Amino acid sequence: MKNLSKTYGEGDTKVNALTDATFSIKKGEFLLIVGSSGSGKTTLLNMIGLLDKPTAGMVFIDDTETTKLNDNEISSFRNSKLGFVFQFANLMPDLTVLENVILPRSIQKTEQNAVDDAMKLLRAVGLESQIHKRANKISGGQAQRAAIARALVNRPSIVLADEPTGNLDSVTTETIIQLMKSMARKLNLTFVVVTHDREQFGEVDRVITVKDGRVIETENNSMKVVA
Amino acid sequence: MNKKGSLVGAVLAVSVGILVIHVNFVIFQGLFDAIVRDMSDYRFGDIYVTDKEDFIEKSDQVLVNWFERIPYVEAATPRMSSTASINVTKFGQRIEEFRVPLVGVDPVTDVEASTIYTTVEGEYVSSRNTAVVGSNVARDLGGVTVGDNIKLKVTDRRGQDQTKRFIVTGIASSPGGQGLDTSVIIHIDTLRDMLDRGDDTDAILVKLNDRKKATEVRDLFLLSFPNDDFKAETIEESAEEALSGFRSGIAMINMIGLFGMMSSAFAIVTIQMMLVTSKTREIGVMRAIGARRKDILLIFLFQGILIGTIGAAAGTAMGLSYTVYAKETKMTFAGSIPLEVSYDWGKIIQTAFTAFGLAIVAAIYPAFKATRLQPVEAMRTV
Repeated sequence: MKNLSKTYGEGDTKVNALTDATFSIKKGEFLLIVGSSGSGKTTLLNMIGLLDKPTAGMVFIDDTETTKLNDNEISSFRNSKLGFVFQFANLMPDLTVLENVILPRSIQKTEQNAVDDAMKLLRAVGLESQIHKRANKISGGQAQRAAIARALVNRPSIVLADEPTGNLDSVTTETIIQLMKSMARKLNLTFVVVTHDREQFGEVDRVITVKDGRVIETENNSMKVVA
Repeated sequence: MNKKGSLVGAVLAVSVGILVIHVNFVIFQGLFDAIVRDMSDYRFGDIYVTDKEDFIEKSDQVLVNWFERIPYVEAATPRMSSTASINVTKFGQRIEEFRVPLVGVDPVTDVEASTIYTTVEGEYVSSRNTAVVGSNVARDLGGVTVGDNIKLKVTDRRGQDQTKRFIVTGIASSPGGQGLDTSVIIHIDTLRDMLDRGDDTDAILVKLNDRKKATEVRDLFLLSFPNDDFKAETIEESAEEALSGFRSGIAMINMIGLFGMMSSAFAIVTIQMMLVTSKTREIGVMRAIGARRKDILLIFLFQGILIGTIGAAAGTAMGLSYTVYAKETKMTFAGSIPLEVSYDWGKIIQTAFTAFGLAIVAAIYPAFKATRLQPVEAMRTV
């Protein structure tokens, strides 16, 4: 991310949600973005995830300057290079767990081996017995595990998770965090996780703190660096 | 809003729109066609020949023979008409009716070219002193029945009153009163004598075995008698004159049907918009995981196609079921004229395709709205 800024509104109602954020993420890194509510961490994640356009600055992913992509290219990029896990699992309630996991592949129209790939992931997240259940018939923890499987089915470059445990009880939270960490390790995936509760995640590769729209410090393992 | 419920609601809107058009068609077009059918069967035939100025002076026998040589013609018959005063004495009381329509028929050819005889209870006109009295006239005359004597008074061509006594052999009563229920039917030669009209004829009714040939036969007739002042009309032309108001009414009813279908389209727009609103979060998620605007558009357009297809199929099936029911039961309203129900496949297909097209058109705006949703904004929707 290079000089990334995001401003909402105009004139008196102008709000600088993100100001001049510059940092890079290494492949295979498990990165936390922390900060209090309204600090701008979700805005930052949305910029990385191409869900929102920055007012200024650039986002490079796999050497592609994503801010120059058009709407269709952004959609394809999101589909093939990025995986999303939201606070609420956001599964399609009318589809089964398996259909939900296959959905990114269906959008990509690369459904060959999609069921096999989805089944492997569902086994990995411990949902093999729930595959034919409708998404609205499973528990919150199971839904979030299915959402993780959905995020991984296209073998993305980065998985972006916005408060993935924000809606779960403490036991399920621990399970989901361990699941994300183990998947990241097993598949050598880059994870960028937004959370307001740093302690829940224990040891991670790096932590970025956002305050009032600015990236103020990074914590590299145990070493703190002022940005 | 529940997705299944919304789709069922939209499908119902399309189906009901089509059903309304079918029901309108069965009832109003059926009534129109029934009136035309009865006009043809009882009064005008498939071709109705008159003289432009006055009475036909050419021998009716010559004209009937001319027509009956044409293969498309089943039969032809002369008719004469006038008005009469009628009186009858029942139980010592003399009852009189004025200006009653009087129809003169040839008993031999009339039963071949017209079905008016089928409406007669008793015996049709069989000799020169027998009469068939329309049921309304019989009622107005205090309940005339078969076997009663009636006295008819007409004014001949010289302005002289001519009176003659008749024996009633039958009472004419047709469904819906489309026959000669308000007339008295007598032998044509008797009426000619009373009017002092020699061999004059008022009109010739021509019945065809193929009504589609009516124009051809009419044109051939007019070409064959270029020096006579004949006027020949097909039943469509005769009916058009008599039923032009009714035709306008049908056009209006069809318009109402079309507006009904348009209302269905508005219902689909509303339902689809509600569906888009209720699915905003899911649309946002779809967009976030890589669906393009085009994919979202296609999802909602596909829903429109689905609604149009199922709605058009269900509506057409319901409409056809109603049409079959109306045809098989010879549907009437309160014992009135039986509807002439027909299957107009052109209209049926046109209605189905119009509804299908409207459903798709109605889906375009909500589908377009769905594509404009930004993923981040959409996913914030609860």
